[in-house]
Amino acid sequence: MSEIKVNSIKGTGASSAAITVHTSDGTATGKFTNIPGRNLVINGAMQVAQYGTSSTTSSSYTCDRFHLTYSGQDEAPTFSQADVTSGGAYDAGFRKCLKVVNGNQTSGAGASDIIQIRYRIEQQDLAQSGWNYTSASSYITLSFWIKSSVGQAFTGSFFTNDGTAKAYKFSTPYLSANTWTKVTKTIPGHADLTINTGNGIGITLFLFPFIGTTWTSSDSTTETWVSNAGTNHANTNTTTWWTTNDATYELTGVQIEVGDVATDFEHRSYGDELARCQRYYEALYMNAGTAMWISWASGSSQKMEYSFKVTKRAVPTSQLEGNASWSGATPLSFHSTNIAGFHHANTAYSLSDSNGDLCYSFSAEL
Amino acid sequence: MADYKFFKNIPGTANAGVIYKTKKWIPLDPDNTDYQDYLEWVDAGNTTEAAD
Repeated sequence: MSEIKVNSIKGTGASSAAITVHTSDGTATGKFTNIPGRNLVINGAMQVAQYGTSSTTSSSYTCDRFHLTYSGQDEAPTFSQADVTSGGAYDAGFRKCLKVVNGNQTSGAGASDIIQIRYRIEQQDLAQSGWNYTSASSYITLSFWIKSSVGQAFTGSFFTNDGTAKAYKFSTPYLSANTWTKVTKTIPGHADLTINTGNGIGITLFLFPFIGTTWTSSDSTTETWVSNAGTNHANTNTTTWWTTNDATYELTGVQIEVGDVATDFEHRSYGDELARCQRYYEALYMNAGTAMWISWASGSSQKMEYSFKVTKRAVPTSQLEGNASWSGATPLSFHSTNIAGFHHANTAYSLSDSNGDLCYSFSAEL
Repeated sequence: MADYKFFKNIPGTANAGVIYKTKKWIPLDPDNTDYQDYLEWVDAGNTTEAAD
């Protein structure tokens, strides 16, 4: 029987070891590209769109978990869940993306003009991810696929919330027009970072198709932790995309993982991603011209219950969606994190919708 | 009409939440971001309409 004694195993062209072997305790650590559960981002492949597949509204969602905002526009942009049909992202296994189509911004680029994509990781998920976030030698790595109809670089940043809130700005490399490009950024910890273990905001990732100078600062402070001042949302940003009518910006394959290497994207099933999304938002769809949620009598009052498919992050907000309406009466709506209850003192009610679409929602988004 | 209106619990003894513009039913949960927005609205000096 033979034995190989090594300290590490490294690829012939690699700068760091793939496997590091402990000198005495019989263990090893490795940088494996296929460990399940490593992606801290939910719906990074943009498969799930419970809110609907298109929106022109600021402060809205199309692909779940990715919040969309704009202001200062002359014409509203359009957000949608779109198909990936070719290119590097397609070859990497992506079939859906979040697409932003610019409006016609006839007055040019104003200081406070902005289109923002926002993703938030819950505190407890980041705090317990294994990232030693107070150490400058411990890392998380962000990777994503991006395509723009305009050749340029784009900006983004991370913001923390707890303790002394900090910001970390970055820019993509120059992107060739209409070409899917994988961008990676490795982010170190910092002694000033605090991530609590609750269900609030752990860290926010911002990506900007465009951001005006109100929120930008010198590129000299890029890729280092700085104060979370308003101007530290992004590095300076060229205005080309914003001033190009109908310019497009497409995003998919968003992954944040512990470690200093961007591994291949962790592809998950639609059902898996949907369940993860439902911790934050649960949508109910109804067939056209039908009714559901018919109340039942309890003494003189009318009641109804609905158990959530997934326990929510917080007690959710509920609301009618689209052209859905209550028939009979509008009940009071009471919830916990895992069940919704409806009540009316004396009148029977049901939920109806003339279209086969989203009719009711429960939101516990961050 | 104010943007927000209280609604009561089933016995009618206490407020259970607020309704935003007759559409969103928001619980009094400090972790709910809609409730956080509501508290900012109150801090700005606005007054919530009483429950029926």
